[in-house]
Amino acid sequence: MTNKITKSSTAEYFAKNLQQVGFSSPLKAVLTTLKEAVDNSMDACEVAGILPEITVEVKRMGVGSSKNSELVKIVVEDNGPGIEPDDLAKVFGEYLASSKFGRGQCSRGQQGIGISAATTWAQLTNAKGAFVRTKTSSMRKAIEARVDVDIKSNTGVVRNKETVDWDKKTSGVRVEFVIDGRIQLNGDGGLITYMEGTVLVNPHLTLHYKLLDNDWIHVERVSNDSPDIPEATLPHPHTFKLGEFITHATLFGKTSLAQFLKTGFSRISDQSIKDFVAKGLPKALLTKPISALKEDDFKKVFLAVQNTELMSPSTKSVLTVGEESLSKSIQRLGEIDFFSVVARKPTICDFKPVSVEVALARFKNRNLEADEPVQLLRFANRVPLQFDKSGCAITWAIESVNWKNYALSQPKSSLPIGPYIFAVSVVSPFIKFKNASKETIDASEELVEEIRRALMQAGQKLSRHIKKEDREADLERKLSHIEQFGPILVESLVRITKSSDVRKKKAEDGLKKLLGRDSQVAVAELEVASARLSKLKAHQDKKLGTDIADEETESEVIETAVENSKAAKSKKPASTKKKK
Amino acid sequence: MAKLTRIRELKLDIPKEAKRLAEVMLTDLERSKRPVLEAVKTSLDNSFYNAKVGYLTPGDKMVRTELNVSSVQKLARVVFMLELLLNNLEVGSVNTKRELYYMCKGVIKGNARLKPLDFEDQDESNSVIDFIGDMLRVYREELNCFANDRGGQTYSQQLVVTETMPDGDKATVDLSTLGTAPYQPKNRPQSLKLKARKKIDFCLIVESEGTANTLQAMGFTKRNNCILMGAQGVPSNAVRGWAKLIEEELSVPMYFFGDLDAYTMQNIFRTLKAGSAASLIRNADFSAPQVRFLGVLPEDVKKYDLPHYKVKESDPVEARALKKAKDALENDPFFLDKKNKGLSDILRWLIKEKIRCEQQSFFSVDPKDKIKTEKIILEKIRGGHYV
Repeated sequence: MTNKITKSSTAEYFAKNLQQVGFSSPLKAVLTTLKEAVDNSMDACEVAGILPEITVEVKRMGVGSSKNSELVKIVVEDNGPGIEPDDLAKVFGEYLASSKFGRGQCSRGQQGIGISAATTWAQLTNAKGAFVRTKTSSMRKAIEARVDVDIKSNTGVVRNKETVDWDKKTSGVRVEFVIDGRIQLNGDGGLITYMEGTVLVNPHLTLHYKLLDNDWIHVERVSNDSPDIPEATLPHPHTFKLGEFITHATLFGKTSLAQFLKTGFSRISDQSIKDFVAKGLPKALLTKPISALKEDDFKKVFLAVQNTELMSPSTKSVLTVGEESLSKSIQRLGEIDFFSVVARKPTICDFKPVSVEVALARFKNRNLEADEPVQLLRFANRVPLQFDKSGCAITWAIESVNWKNYALSQPKSSLPIGPYIFAVSVVSPFIKFKNASKETIDASEELVEEIRRALMQAGQKLSRHIKKEDREADLERKLSHIEQFGPILVESLVRITKSSDVRKKKAEDGLKKLLGRDSQVAVAELEVASARLSKLKAHQDKKLGTDIADEETESEVIETAVENSKAAKSKKPASTKKKK
Repeated sequence: MAKLTRIRELKLDIPKEAKRLAEVMLTDLERSKRPVLEAVKTSLDNSFYNAKVGYLTPGDKMVRTELNVSSVQKLARVVFMLELLLNNLEVGSVNTKRELYYMCKGVIKGNARLKPLDFEDQDESNSVIDFIGDMLRVYREELNCFANDRGGQTYSQQLVVTETMPDGDKATVDLSTLGTAPYQPKNRPQSLKLKARKKIDFCLIVESEGTANTLQAMGFTKRNNCILMGAQGVPSNAVRGWAKLIEEELSVPMYFFGDLDAYTMQNIFRTLKAGSAASLIRNADFSAPQVRFLGVLPEDVKKYDLPHYKVKESDPVEARALKKAKDALENDPFFLDKKNKGLSDILRWLIKEKIRCEQQSFFSVDPKDKIKTEKIILEKIRGGHYV
């Protein structure tokens, strides 16, 4: 008996391997479905230049069909350009049918797997795919339909198509999934964490959401600029492995090798082709069509390319949120004690353009524990990453920073401790994930170093706030020390020496004088810390365009404070010393 | 209350000196000058060793505490504790450190203004007591602060101890008349006089008091003219002072028998022989420089095929001892001294081999022979197999 070798469709493969794309547990299923729907809405709005306004509702519908799960309804509605009714089947029911695949853009979605996987999950667990309503600006009425995935053929099937009124929208999409899952609101993998993360890195987003029986939350946009999605860029040849190189090449069919190199990659010029030849690329191959090259030839070409120095890729293709927007956006998460934001200029890591942005903040009333690790929000291309943080480049970078330098306590090689939120965003047209479900960013040395630098800059800013607080506490402690211990010391000495009240009074006065000098030093130190902080604040305000403070005056304040502090210290060196 | 027996001939009058210090501090304050207290720095980097002297002595480094907002708490606590100790000296009452800790709590409880002085745990009050001792350069016992006399159970058929009591009366204890009970030395060895009824050949100090008791039970002191003593781990002041007294008054060879590991070598044997860095000011009266390390020696492990263990580097205590051993070879003047090369060689061997071998492993040599360990000990003494 022989086994029949069968070829399965892409849809069949993903239907069997949904755990690879974010459906490995009921908890993740809910989050992934929501995420994919919101990502698609945001990407669509941005491409169309529409400021997104998204409404999300997550409800419990009863018991799920699989063990330990509940039936969950997820609804996401946007004001985007809408989907042409003819495209519904492709968008929701076909795998790898993406407008973005391999394009080298900083969009959230990349391959066209996510939303089809969500449809598949809904179909597998509740026997019904996605319920979609769509309206484009050229349609008078909206179309409503159910889209299922035909797993055998990897095509979408549109059912129960109907025309309905949707007058309140000129265009938009409303998608509804009913799936097996489990709902968690707080913590790393929680829905609230996802919502807040999405709000933070999308200052131009207006979001309304209702999770379970909680009240509706309305978050208004703080920026009216829809981000300019930079032009797509061609990949840099140095980011390729041999196998990828060959696959990439075969797409070019009968194109000549030289033409392929010049048009398939960025940073390859006629001069580079000459350089390749100098590094061992057989000249004869250049004019041959790709389809005529043998594996051995590819290897020679590949090696020559790798061994030649090329210009670094352009960073123009990277999108950034920006310090200003991030500063405004972070205040949407709650009332803030203080925060520090750093947006690094786009740079090149592993031949890929990358931009790293960091926001560190301490909130009032957020129930963050003072002795717990900071709450970490990770983002890749403006999508929150919520699972498996230990393997992520962002986590590694945070752990590699010595936060004690910035007045935060930190157990060895761990996240620092304190009631802070650390948000780190990595944006790149070629972000490398550890897995298809995009939960962790692969940690290359260069990327970790770049993130680390951003964190250290943000840490420096943050530490000014913390140090000022510490100085305040220090002053308070010192003043109370004097009040508490001074009289006790004098009284004991008076008792031991059996001295008079006159001497007691005189000693008390002397003691006050001495310790007064010390507290002057502490006051002066506090002044320096305060002045440094106000300089930072003025600088930030200036950047944000509000309350522009005169910086010169600020630096004068600091200089005076430093002088005062020096003067106070030089009066008397006061310390517990060990001398020889 | 009866006057306590003096620990040593002390020229210093403690209450007078304490009053003088308080007077200086008060005068400084009256003049708005920062009062300063100085104490001997009791740490390894201020320890010196000369084989001829035989124990660790203090150098001239001092810990200087000047009054400022940060040190005002410490100074207030020192003066507070000093007052309490002076009162004890005046009425002649004694206390342990723990009792003093609670007495402070009692005084503070009765006076709300003293609340800020309160000690959170005993470590805090201990360090204040130690500072006072180091500042006045006196023993804690001279401040009427005594420790529990742990360890030092002693057996001998030849030794006679005469104790001068606080009231001047004398008590004589003939150790041979105590039956199976040991003699337990107190923490004031200087009030004792020793006499040997018959020539004593040696004194053996065993790290494990249990093993010392076993040797005794099997007739060690009947067969040998000796003094047999249990140390019970790191020797207490009582054990250290007692060993010093035996060495000085009887001039008998002294041997220490304990585990072969870094902890025993540094914390137990070194302290017994030369004192410690923490007790720099008292090592003169609390160390027995002539005591030799009888074993377990590295060569014994092979010679007697003794069961031994790999040092567990995961065990924090053992790992620390090993790390300390490396440190000791570089910084401890005792192990750096050429005269103690034999001992530092053992430390080097331990660091290299990373094993430990316990004193009780001698019981594995011939389990049928109930006095095999005694035989080996005697064989080692006779053969000069010690360091």
